Amino acid sequence: MNVRSQISMVFHLDKCIGCHTCSIACKNIWTDRKGTEYMWWNNVETKPGTGFPTKWEDQEKYRGGWELRDGKLVLKSTSKAKTVTNIFHNPSMPSMDDYYEPWTYKYDELFNAPEGSDQPTARPVSMVTGEYINVESGPNWDDDLGGSRIYAESDPNLKGLSEEQRQQLSAVERLVLFYFPRICNHCLNPSCVASCPSGALYKRGEDGIVLIDQKRCRGWRACVAACPYKKTFYNWSTGKSEKCVLCYPRLETGQAPACFHSCVGRIRYLGVLLYDADRLEEVAKLPDEQLIDGQRSLILDPHDPEVIAAARKNNIHDSVIESAQNSPVYKFVKEWKIALPPHIEYRTLPMLFYVPPMSPVMANRNDDTVSSVSDEFFHDIEQARVPLQFLANLFGAGHQGKLVYALKKQKAVRVYRRAKTVGDIPMKTAEAILREADCTVEEAERIYELTSLCTFEERFVIPPMHREEAIEMMKDPQEHKTAVGFGFMEPPERGL
Amino acid sequence: MQRFLALLAMSALSLGVALAQETADFYRQNCMSCHTIGGGRMTGPDLKNVTERKDRAWLSRFMMDPKGMMDSGDPYASKILQEARGVQMPALPGMTRARVEALLDLITEESAKEKSAFAGVQLSDRPFTDRDVEVGHNIFVGATSLKNNGPSCISCHTVNGIGGFGGGTLGPDLTTVFERYQGRKALSIWLSAPATPTMQSVFRKEPLESEEILSLVAYFQHTLTRNPEDASTARLNFILIGLAGTLIVLGVFDVVWNKRFRAVRRPLVQERQLESNA
Repeated sequence: MNVRSQISMVFHLDKCIGCHTCSIACKNIWTDRKGTEYMWWNNVETKPGTGFPTKWEDQEKYRGGWELRDGKLVLKSTSKAKTVTNIFHNPSMPSMDDYYEPWTYKYDELFNAPEGSDQPTARPVSMVTGEYINVESGPNWDDDLGGSRIYAESDPNLKGLSEEQRQQLSAVERLVLFYFPRICNHCLNPSCVASCPSGALYKRGEDGIVLIDQKRCRGWRACVAACPYKKTFYNWSTGKSEKCVLCYPRLETGQAPACFHSCVGRIRYLGVLLYDADRLEEVAKLPDEQLIDGQRSLILDPHDPEVIAAARKNNIHDSVIESAQNSPVYKFVKEWKIALPPHIEYRTLPMLFYVPPMSPVMANRNDDTVSSVSDEFFHDIEQARVPLQFLANLFGAGHQGKLVYALKKQKAVRVYRRAKTVGDIPMKTAEAILREADCTVEEAERIYELTSLCTFEERFVIPPMHREEAIEMMKDPQEHKTAVGFGFMEPPERGL
Repeated sequence: MQRFLALLAMSALSLGVALAQETADFYRQNCMSCHTIGGGRMTGPDLKNVTERKDRAWLSRFMMDPKGMMDSGDPYASKILQEARGVQMPALPGMTRARVEALLDLITEESAKEKSAFAGVQLSDRPFTDRDVEVGHNIFVGATSLKNNGPSCISCHTVNGIGGFGGGTLGPDLTTVFERYQGRKALSIWLSAPATPTMQSVFRKEPLESEEILSLVAYFQHTLTRNPEDASTARLNFILIGLAGTLIVLGVFDVVWNKRFRAVRRPLVQERQLESNA
């Protein structure tokens, strides 16, 4: 057993209201510099929809992530040999148009317009070229466009849905959408790190945050092609690639990352997981339907004395172990099993988990009026507006088992709380539903509390980062403290 | 004491032999490309009995500073310059007074011989045949390798109408070299001991055989008749072949990277808009 610690995340999609506050918080802190205008380290997508960049989940085109070939785990986009032959032309490189061309408006033209017979307008100009452009797409171009003909209907997760189900998704009385906020998953088996020809990407040993060394990066952009979630971006101004840093400077001072901190719906949870690094490869090679169980088996019980002993042997600090014991992520992922990894079939073992969303209640059609009151207040999840297969493609590698379990448990908790607070459902029925969903009354209470009444401290259990210990390996911490200031001594630049 | 003297005499003798050998080498490397001793004039005059034509003092002044002598208006020096059609003798590095004396000794000694070792290559005077031209062509393009393993001409030179991409461009075009070197004899002698630094360093150890020289000169006489337009045809061919090559390489790239990423968003939107308009 080779115990490591990893800062992991849970996004509770049932609570996301799609306000984009997270995206703006991130943009203001990290990507308001020249060359980063088009980057959204955090973005919120509407599902069904094509996302950012457009149709990023279509790996036939983008060729991100890993695949199993002859029992070996290989990158889809590159290999040792291809790194050489494709270094000056990576055939899997998305262009800026597939993200969007960032723009602003010529406000001068409003204020300095000469008197005329018509309203002055501020025309859009590209933030890359400075030329006038026609705005054709944006980072959330299909925001709230559930059921739209171009975007929602082109969602790659619709694969395997019957024609009837597809048509229902755009029928007025069944229209549905939910939000899918995304940041870097800080994967256990990151394909971006594996693809880098310069060795500039690394996964921080003490907390598993995946970073790009701005001094070693040579801008080959292999990571951009290799990341299946398209969460590494190329900065055209500095000639280096950049990605979500999980606000490590904030974490190191005990604050939650900006997108977590600012989240209006309080959907975000953060905590430490202990995992067994020895079994990583074995798990990443499992067949699709076993991947979720495999990843869960990597996550170790932080209360197990054997795990604690092994963690101490690996120099994991007691305070980190304690933090892991209080981790909300551990509860969602491992204890209650209601949080699922996104697209685990890319085999990068993402460490950001999603609690799948419950669909809005189903509407009934009586003659020509549409009533939103269902016969049954909490209808069966099989009847949900979002087809199960769609969610399974997103969170279950195409297999419904784990997803149905997570949704059933959530529904059971709802029924139980309704029975308890409103009382229009008999407690007996509620308990039967709980049993059916493999949930005890105590567990239901705890899920309810961590979902609805959670405090700041319960949502973000940030371990002491012990940077001094990480620095100690290379340098005297006291000396380091006097040698570093705020950030870089010189800005990242092109070339060596 | 006698022993010592004998030893001294022996070492003096061997030193003398070594010196003579060195002087002969110097002559071969520096003088032979323009002068013969008893072989008739080339670029420079025949040096046979030169010490009888001018006194040693004048000769040594001329050898150490040929340009100075010619510029000074010395009548004999001017006459030499005129005979050489304006080609000045270069000032040679390492031409010390001792070296000059040694060289003059060598020339006097060789002049006395009936057949000097430095009389130049003995070239046949027989008329050129078509066969000579063909052999010369083969030598030029390297189809026949040189007997002493020297590099073939085409590595650095070209002549009109050689076909393909033409020859090398490092050295000068040799189409009209026969004319430029004023005929068969001078060109043959020049080839027997090339005088330019590049040719000298390449061919000093691997000289051309006299048969090879004859064939090459025959070939160069033949190339004089080549149509000068051939050069532009070769250039046009080069450009056309280059363009075709580029297209082929691009085509190969297209096949190799056939599954490359192409735009996603724009085609998606356009395709869907077309569908909904239809």
